[in-house]
Amino acid sequence: MTTYILRRLVLMVPVAFLVTIGVFILIRLSPGDPALVFAGEERDPTALAAIREQMGLDKPLPVQYVVWVTRLAQGDLGRSFQTHQRVLEAIVERLPATAELGLAALVFSVGVALVVGIISAIKRNSAIDLLSTSVTLAGVSFPSFFLGIVLILLFAYVIPGRIFPPGGYTAFTTDAGDNLRRLVLPAITLATASLAVNLRQVRSSLLDVFGHEYMRTARAKGLRERTVVTRHALKNALIPVVTLIGIQVGAIIEGAFITETIFFWPGIGRLAVTAIPSQDYPVVQGVVLVSAFSYMVSTLLVDVLYAWLDPRISYESATA
Amino acid sequence: MSGTTLPAVLRVPRADRASSIGYFLRHNPRMIVGGALVLAWLFIFVFARVIAPYDPLKVNVADALLPPGPAHWLGTDDLGRDVFSRVLVGSQVSLRVGIISVAIGFFVGVSLGLAAGYLGGLFDLLAMRAVDALLAFPALVLAIAITAALGPKIENAMIAIGIVAIPAYARLTRGQVLAVRAREFIVAARTIGATPLRIVMRHIFPNVVNALIVQATLSTAFAILAEAALSFLGLGPQPPDPSWGQDINYSQRYLPNLKWWMSVGPGLAIFSAVFAFNFLGDALRDALDPRLRRSG
Repeated sequence: MTTYILRRLVLMVPVAFLVTIGVFILIRLSPGDPALVFAGEERDPTALAAIREQMGLDKPLPVQYVVWVTRLAQGDLGRSFQTHQRVLEAIVERLPATAELGLAALVFSVGVALVVGIISAIKRNSAIDLLSTSVTLAGVSFPSFFLGIVLILLFAYVIPGRIFPPGGYTAFTTDAGDNLRRLVLPAITLATASLAVNLRQVRSSLLDVFGHEYMRTARAKGLRERTVVTRHALKNALIPVVTLIGIQVGAIIEGAFITETIFFWPGIGRLAVTAIPSQDYPVVQGVVLVSAFSYMVSTLLVDVLYAWLDPRISYESATA
Repeated sequence: MSGTTLPAVLRVPRADRASSIGYFLRHNPRMIVGGALVLAWLFIFVFARVIAPYDPLKVNVADALLPPGPAHWLGTDDLGRDVFSRVLVGSQVSLRVGIISVAIGFFVGVSLGLAAGYLGGLFDLLAMRAVDALLAFPALVLAIAITAALGPKIENAMIAIGIVAIPAYARLTRGQVLAVRAREFIVAARTIGATPLRIVMRHIFPNVVNALIVQATLSTAFAILAEAALSFLGLGPQPPDPSWGQDINYSQRYLPNLKWWMSVGPGLAIFSAVFAFNFLGDALRDALDPRLRRSG
């Protein structure tokens, strides 16, 4: 197991290297002179040249990359062109809000998928199964930003009493009740697409397990149906669901860009989206890098967990 | 984004394949429903300007913010523009981005996958690490980053979504190539002196086509959704051109006044277009994958 983890970590190195090159090239492709954006109203050529030199833009591209990646390794993501705040600091400030939203969406999505998926598989072809499979297909096709708007319209404006506010954020430590009230709509919006995928996976994994012979043996032994499902089926069926949680970390990160924008949720997704029109490239670059690395680490963790949960998985073949 | 690897499908005589699809069409109405929905959207895509009852750009302040009614089926926006006409013409943006970006992803990804799978060695190693690097980004984040870097334009959105689609095609194709590369008919083709290009195009590619058709259908759905998301964030076509995502974003400011129709039209359009391609993709997967067909 240790060898497997080490091998995966080693394999991550070239990918991480390519990711940094990719992000660096993307930012250098951007139209406009970063020095001009950084300088704001300043147009004096001498001042601009000084800024350019300070930012290392007067050096050849490979040198710029090495300087950038060395700083990156030290946790220095540069400074925002707009606020001149350190990018890492800006991201760390907003990370708790994104993490809270992501976690709530994950809990909602996995929880509902487990309950409905199990019922759906046990009562295959029933009305509830038909309804859940239809909702599944609709859920993956429904644009999250449209769902968010429908939820805002319904719960903030149409239904009297403004059950949930249309947006904004209150820290949990300031007012826990208001924090949770504001969390509900964005969490449902963010969770819906993953909920559809999860539900499909739970249902199909369970149906697959139901077809195995050990299930027939368990029933033949005279075990109660509840025991058969919880002890024998669910334990095996849930293994593939674990991988989905890893994939969803990616879905939640990308969904956060949209959801946080709709609901004025002050997380890293909104930070990046507001930085784009002002050409605040270090911020966009920083958020994209943090997203990519979080996704890579979560994928690694899930692969390790998956290999640990299912002894049939060969560590050798998993690295191929 | 995990690549789903479908099993290798060895070359099936054309008549058999056609009859198998015919059999499925008769026995699975999902295929007909999905196909009809996609065809309906393609019809709208081609004839949007003809069937749109109004000019989608024409400002008519006297008719501003009218709710849905007989004259304006989906109401009008704050400038008096007909929402239904904007939804119809907006389909030209969404489907164009969908089709072109999928074509970019398909062409680059399949070429990369065929070359990596057939050549193996260092090329395979380098190509797959590059694909891994693309997969290291959450798909939409990468599309946002590319479009933000290149500038908010429809062409850049197409390139961005196309690049994001490459890994799925590359991995799928490479997997299929590896599955058939050592088969007798490939060895036989090599023995009779067929060139690598001929082997790839005439003997390997046809075995990958079924899986690729399914992937292309499903990734068109993703591309439409991604384009709408980019437009929603202001990274797609710019006003006053109609675009579903952008129109939803614009109409958000009228939610407190309960002018819901401005968002509902484009929202339902995105949903139904994405649903159509997802539905058809799922039905096609069942039809063309013998393993799924057997298990029902």
